[in-house]
Amino acid sequence: MGEVTKAKLDQLRSGELSPVENVRRALERISKLNPKINAFIEVNNGAVAQAEALERKLKRGKRAGKLAGLAIGIKSNINVNGLRATCASRTLEDYVAAYDAEVVKRVLAEDGIIIGVNNMDEFACGSSGETSAFGVTDNPAAPGRIPGGSSSGGGAAIASGMCDLCLGTDTGGSIRNPASHCGVVGVKPTYGLVPRQGLIDLGMSLEQIGPIASDVYGAALLLEVIAGKNLNESVMLDVPKVSYVDKLDGADIKGMKIGISPQFAEITDLAVMDVIDKSIETLRDLGAEIVNVELPHIEEAMPAYYLIVSVEFFSATRKFDGRKYGKRIEDVCGDEVLRRILRGRYISQKEYRGKYYQRALQVRTIIRRELMAALEKVDVIVGPTVPKLPHKLGTKLTPMEMYAYDYLTIPANLAGICGGVVKAGEVDGVPVGMQVQGKVLGEEQVLRVMRAFEAVS
Amino acid sequence: MMVGLEVHQQLATERKMYCDCPTNYQDVPPNTNVCPICTGMPGSKPLSPNEKAVDAAIELALMLGCKVVVDKPTYIQRKHYDYPDLPSGYQRTSLPIAVDGELQGVRIREVHLEEDPGQYDPTVGSVDFNRSGVPLVEIVTEPDMRSPEDARRFLRQLIRVLEFTGKVRPEAGGAMRTDVNISLEGGARVEVKNINSVKGAYKALKFEITRQKAKLGRGEAVVRETRAYLESQMITTSMRLKEMEEDYRYIPDPDIFPLVIDDAKVQKIREQMVEPPHLREQRLVEHYGIQQAAANVIVSERKFADLFEEVAKEVDPKLAAMWFRTKLKKVLNYMKLSAAAIKFTPKQLITLLQMIQHNKVTPEQGELVLRELVKKPADPKELVQRLGLERIEWGDLELAVKEAIRRNQKAVKDYLAGRKEALNFIAGKVMELTGGRADPRKILKLLRAELLKKS
Amino acid sequence: MAEERQKEIERSAEEIVESFVKAAEGLPSEREMYYSQEAYNVVRPDGKPSSSEERTKFRKRFIKIMPAKDEDGNLRVEVAKWVK
Repeated sequence: MGEVTKAKLDQLRSGELSPVENVRRALERISKLNPKINAFIEVNNGAVAQAEALERKLKRGKRAGKLAGLAIGIKSNINVNGLRATCASRTLEDYVAAYDAEVVKRVLAEDGIIIGVNNMDEFACGSSGETSAFGVTDNPAAPGRIPGGSSSGGGAAIASGMCDLCLGTDTGGSIRNPASHCGVVGVKPTYGLVPRQGLIDLGMSLEQIGPIASDVYGAALLLEVIAGKNLNESVMLDVPKVSYVDKLDGADIKGMKIGISPQFAEITDLAVMDVIDKSIETLRDLGAEIVNVELPHIEEAMPAYYLIVSVEFFSATRKFDGRKYGKRIEDVCGDEVLRRILRGRYISQKEYRGKYYQRALQVRTIIRRELMAALEKVDVIVGPTVPKLPHKLGTKLTPMEMYAYDYLTIPANLAGICGGVVKAGEVDGVPVGMQVQGKVLGEEQVLRVMRAFEAVS
Repeated sequence: MMVGLEVHQQLATERKMYCDCPTNYQDVPPNTNVCPICTGMPGSKPLSPNEKAVDAAIELALMLGCKVVVDKPTYIQRKHYDYPDLPSGYQRTSLPIAVDGELQGVRIREVHLEEDPGQYDPTVGSVDFNRSGVPLVEIVTEPDMRSPEDARRFLRQLIRVLEFTGKVRPEAGGAMRTDVNISLEGGARVEVKNINSVKGAYKALKFEITRQKAKLGRGEAVVRETRAYLESQMITTSMRLKEMEEDYRYIPDPDIFPLVIDDAKVQKIREQMVEPPHLREQRLVEHYGIQQAAANVIVSERKFADLFEEVAKEVDPKLAAMWFRTKLKKVLNYMKLSAAAIKFTPKQLITLLQMIQHNKVTPEQGELVLRELVKKPADPKELVQRLGLERIEWGDLELAVKEAIRRNQKAVKDYLAGRKEALNFIAGKVMELTGGRADPRKILKLLRAELLKKS
Repeated sequence: MAEERQKEIERSAEEIVESFVKAAEGLPSEREMYYSQEAYNVVRPDGKPSSSEERTKFRKRFIKIMPAKDEDGNLRVEVAKWVK
């Protein structure tokens, strides 16, 4: 378990598989499966040419990048020069990205081949994959059910083997949620670890770009490539680049302190919690010490988040006035996008901001303090990723019911810590992911726990 | 009547405030000095603030006698409003970096940092983003002015102070823009935007006063509104922008960390900054006992004032001030030179002025030497010799006077007959005879004495 | 129709706000957390501006995607309402 990416890389390095062949296979799979699954909005017509250029470069004896020959999907809210960055919205349906996001530059610098643009919830405002202006995405691991969101296309593409790796974004759980529903691996990095230059914002102080992969090794590899300080933006952690894959071999969690909070069980459905409890036992068997941690206000994180993200999203969308590119957002967007804009507009008014926006930022301080205190006692916190199983496509949910999916993932975004998801099991064939949350810049421990677990699953 | 100003001044930096695009927006074709950041492309993020702009803002605030906000986070905020020249739908503007200053009796409420929007031509409907992102400092006054003349006076003084620092973009049409706020008794406050010159501010205020007085006179209310100044017609017109009056919904920009200025930084800037001209003017008057008008001319250029103070160490300051204010300024203006372009040394000027002070040369001779000194610096003593300007001996002067009288009998007759101007004629002849080396006052004195003998 | 939809969305937008107020009721006052990590005075020195080659490339793409433009490369937008 968990050898897929490494095996693929070995094949590419040995010459057993050529980059062009890998890309062609991916394109074939996409053309065969995407009509039903709808994980990709656009396929990169230049992908084969890029692969050919890579092969020529390798023939000349040049060093192969870490991602050499791998087919990589990029979520549609990340600028890829020459491809449309639509955010799955009519607002930007014709916006051809005029520059490369920093993470895209880094992927290309390591010889990754961009295979296409992944579908998503419109402007990342969703947790199901049902709000895209270009059609819903299906869950390949549980057909007929939602794949989760907002990185719905990324989760579905990996689960159906359409490509090797994907870049998603996570503001309140948008990588971890689809990773759990689709039974794949996803990581939300520590806030400020990965550059956001070129990411079309949902919530500036909350979101990070992160990897979605079929295994922990693949996620760690892609994370390693995109992480690290970017001089061309301001709000970033000043840390050197490190290797995450180096530490994965023989990942050992003996003696690690793993925290679990009783509040998780209070929020989560029994069937889901059952899978997680069994996973905790597995971790215990691997030698970890399970410690109880209290997160008394974890439930308050969700409403606080929705107030904060609405204000930030309102601000972020003021540029979509239809003058320089695209259309005026309020004229063409979907319901949830409009809901957040109007809410943000309302609660940021002078007379209300203290009561709503600033109060929510105070609750954020409380949540952060609680998580940090818990993480003082343990190396990582383990638990469920989502409180309930993914619903069937077409089920009508109220906004509050939809927001409820985010209870367990939001705290990490509010606090700025990292979190990863690995498949823990299934309930009647529907995947359930286990979430591992770590300290600020604690990706190494998180990945180690995920890998150790994956190796025996 | 209450008049307040919000002055937007561009800072002299090479890069824009939040990106590395060049700032010379007037020299290039439309939309050339642009990048994803200053055009508000989807997904663009600002670079960290331009340090030179931050330091310049602090310096300007100190020049205006403000208290800098220290040891507190100064957030860069997003000010949201909808207008074609604002690429992101919000302007990045800082909380005040300094408060409570004063210039010429007008209180300065606050100083903060902003970025310039793009250039929107509202009549044609076109936008050029070259200017978008150029660093600005905004200076907000209290409504302490009471007339258009007050405002004009203040603005001229403010420009002088700002340019003195060398940290602002030279005034070349648009480097400084002003919004004026005016309220008359019985009327609400009206804001007038789109003013690009001191003259514009003056004209806009004059127009507004007329307009508002007329309204109040007719019994109509003067409502709170935002108007635009139309330069070509010298009138103001209502902008009727409901959106502009809406809540700006300020939030700290999540993509930029706050600034925290500490005392050490303020000290450092204070130490290396130039003394504000209006304060220096006062100090010159008090310290050297010179006239206000002379001090005012002396501080018109920092290097000019520096030279004066150097000279005043060794020459009678009042004499020096008189020379700086009149003759030196005249020569520099005539030769179109700034004080910074002066090539002679302070010592050379001191030597010359000392010669004048001790009557070694006449003032008129001194001016001739000064002209040479500016053209091609040399030791003034040498110049005096070279120009043949040594003081003429008394005896030689007497002889020249007698000779001139002898040669110009008709003029003598005319003078004695009562034609006073004939004296000047004879004096002129004496000047010729003495090669200009004699003091005209002495010539006249001797002439009168001689001619008196004859009558 | 559009107005009805907007009203409905506004109403549903408020639910979570009300839910938040209830949730926050018992909680103490705190400092507001605007940034996940707080750093101060992260500034950038002034200096040589960006290269004109990169800007020329961007300019092409920028002008290409403009909904309306003129031959000098200006963006064309609406005329101001207050212009006489």
